[in-house]
Amino acid sequence: MDQPKLKIGIYELTGCAGDALLIIDCEEELINIFKAADIEAFLMAKSDNRHGELDVALVEGSVSTEKEKEELLDIRKRAKVLVAIGNCACVGGIQASFLDRKEWEKNLKKVYGNVDFTHNKPAHSQPIDAFVHVDYYLPGCPIGKEQFLSTFARMLGGNPPELYRFPVCVECKWNENDCLLNKNILCLGPLTLAGCGSVCPNHNVPCFGCWGPTEEANWTSEYYLLLEKGFDPELIRKRMANYAGTRIADFFAPFRKEKR
Amino acid sequence: MKTISIDHLARVEGNGGLSATLDGKVVTEVKFTVNEGPRLIERLTIGKTPEEDVSLAPRICAICTLSHKNAVLRAMENALGVKVPMKVTLLRELMHMGEFIESHSLHTFYLALPDYVGFPNAIAMAAKFPFEVKIALEMKQFGNHIMKVLSGRYIHGENPIIGGFGKFPTREELIWIKNRAIQFMPFVFRTVELFCGLDYPSVPEAETVYACCEPGSDQYGLWGEEIILSTGEKFFRDDYRKLTNEFVVPHSFCKRSRYQGNTYSVGALARVNVLGERLQGEAGRMFKKYFNARWKINPLFHNAAQALEILYAFERIPELVDEVLKYPDDPAPVPYQVKNGQGTGLVEAPRGLLIHHYEIVDGLVASVDIITPTAQNAEEIERYAYLAAQKLLDDGQEEKIRDRMELIVRAFDPCISCSVHMAEIKKSPAENWKARLRELLLAEPIFIGLGRRGHGDDEAGLTLAALLKKDGFKEVYLEEEFEEDHILEKGVGRPLVFLDIVNMGERPGKIALLPLQHVFWNSVLTHRLLPDVANRLTHEQIKRSYILGIQPQSIEEGAPLSEAVGQAVHRIRGIFLKEDRRRLAEATDSFQEKDPPFDQREKRQHES
Repeated sequence: MDQPKLKIGIYELTGCAGDALLIIDCEEELINIFKAADIEAFLMAKSDNRHGELDVALVEGSVSTEKEKEELLDIRKRAKVLVAIGNCACVGGIQASFLDRKEWEKNLKKVYGNVDFTHNKPAHSQPIDAFVHVDYYLPGCPIGKEQFLSTFARMLGGNPPELYRFPVCVECKWNENDCLLNKNILCLGPLTLAGCGSVCPNHNVPCFGCWGPTEEANWTSEYYLLLEKGFDPELIRKRMANYAGTRIADFFAPFRKEKR
Repeated sequence: MKTISIDHLARVEGNGGLSATLDGKVVTEVKFTVNEGPRLIERLTIGKTPEEDVSLAPRICAICTLSHKNAVLRAMENALGVKVPMKVTLLRELMHMGEFIESHSLHTFYLALPDYVGFPNAIAMAAKFPFEVKIALEMKQFGNHIMKVLSGRYIHGENPIIGGFGKFPTREELIWIKNRAIQFMPFVFRTVELFCGLDYPSVPEAETVYACCEPGSDQYGLWGEEIILSTGEKFFRDDYRKLTNEFVVPHSFCKRSRYQGNTYSVGALARVNVLGERLQGEAGRMFKKYFNARWKINPLFHNAAQALEILYAFERIPELVDEVLKYPDDPAPVPYQVKNGQGTGLVEAPRGLLIHHYEIVDGLVASVDIITPTAQNAEEIERYAYLAAQKLLDDGQEEKIRDRMELIVRAFDPCISCSVHMAEIKKSPAENWKARLRELLLAEPIFIGLGRRGHGDDEAGLTLAALLKKDGFKEVYLEEEFEEDHILEKGVGRPLVFLDIVNMGERPGKIALLPLQHVFWNSVLTHRLLPDVANRLTHEQIKRSYILGIQPQSIEEGAPLSEAVGQAVHRIRGIFLKEDRRRLAEATDSFQEKDPPFDQREKRQHES
């Protein structure tokens, strides 16, 4: 074991801190994680954080202030590999659902009034790949323990992570659940990235799409399927947008054209 | 001027900072900043269905996700008139206990303890405390396990829904939880002894008001329909705004709360201070053993209070499981019609009182108000950090300030993701100057009104001083009647407060209490007397002097006093009158009980 340990930094931008917390929640494995790699920075867990070169940076949260943009650019410069962890970093999270910048500004004013913030400038929430190149995306709201540990272990060995690219429906079938869509329940499983183990349908609760959309999500097909089942179009669009972050733009684009 | 700043607070949940500005021997400012960006949760939950908000709102925070879940469910069920069966209520409480165990054990052992035993983090601490670190991890894991069984996963579980649960836990799962809880008891006692027995420094200590949920029926508990204060006052859930009155400060994305102009504390310490007498069983015995007067004034005892609550939760779990097992059938979610209405949900999150309020119109959520514990504690964190920094500076221990401030912030167990809280502003922001003025009044300062008549707002200081004189305040002088030597004699050992207009670049009528030093640096003086007096004051006296300044609108010759500034004058006068009445009432009370202290006797003579 002469090989030097990997230098890893875990960073939190704007979000619920759930992904960092999930890493802490890997209780039994946590001590091994700290032993297996040099954790250079992990604000939630330790106070002696360094700001040097990194082999891997894990970044949670969306970019929602000017400072965070600078911080992210700095992390990118220092890191050989940058991994976005969690829905906010991957697609912008629920805070990115104000797609229109003007609408976001209007809402910011409604919330905070005309206060001119001295410490930091708020910014329209964006996923991190709006500013830097992202090597891998570890989705989830929050990320899944199994997927995180397997990714972490593969990176320790210098291998790229292997992530699911299929929708929740696949896992749901593995778990032998009855299809909720067949019961006329508004479920977003067909659009949503797998990895959660179809936890909500396992509990008779429909998928809300919190892991974000799969790459090959067939938005239009799901949309018309739900319309056929008699759901309100506005309701469907909102439900789809909740956790899709900026990716929902892919789906909305054809509708915008239609309107014109 | 020097700033001690902690840009990224380590070992707290989320991204925040704290800074203190020192000016010689005076701490002029302490700021608790929240660096997480605004997420506008309260806006993006609008226009959604109640079911969607039950999923979206807990995304505010991963650490208190189930507290948010319980709060949003209670609010929605109140709004929709849904009454859940007993089994559901009991299981939700069990779920809440899981979160308390998870959050408290994480905070006490992993985030707070390293400070008290001198390690940078819990992993390093493991070398010296292997047993504690290991079992605490298991305890936290047990809390997580309960959350997972009931909510579906560790974080952001979706199993709890309006009217019940998607799926109920099995009998075997519940019995396992009960047995495991009993197994932990020896370690839980050790936890209480460890944290209640820690040597908490006596800086800072100051009285405050504590607020928490009133669980009703003389029980200790983690939710209720009312808010109870340590003063004995109670508010019904829908009247929560009487307590919170939120406002925004420019240096943070976290909104602030004050009660009647004063800061107040929420959290484990608040609950133990207000409800501790109601603790039963072992938790009750431990409370009697360890609770003392210092718990009421020292925020560092948050850690001890959390340990006590870990014991409470471990005792409560077997009781809850036994109760739940009396209901073998799993009730289907209560059906409901979406109707117009409003609802508030009050819950004690691990770090304090959490309030969710929703209004539903035409089946969609029309307005949202969420008040998180850290938003309420933000002002307290600043206040205690300020008190500590000033005390340490007075004692010549400047090098300790940074660590001590960090200790204080951490004791409050702030959840910074939560604190990024967005509500519509309904009132103009309250100001820090009121509390500072009250503190200053205790030191019996001398007030000097400055200004020029017939120059618009420039006469504000004189007007205010004249009014106060008329109200019977003794130590108030006007610039023109003032002998400079006289002030210097009187001013020995007492603060001087100049009443004047100050151009702060703010809206007209804005009030600020600024250290005189600050004013010299940002030189905005128009008056002859002030520089004269200041030149003759000793260094010490300058440090103790302030300007109570009002932002003028116009100081044109011949203009009248503007309306905004006129109102500001009356607001300041109001504080003086209120404070005087309060002190008089206190003096009268203590006079009846025993001989009043000398200064109050003098005051009474002055009044008669």
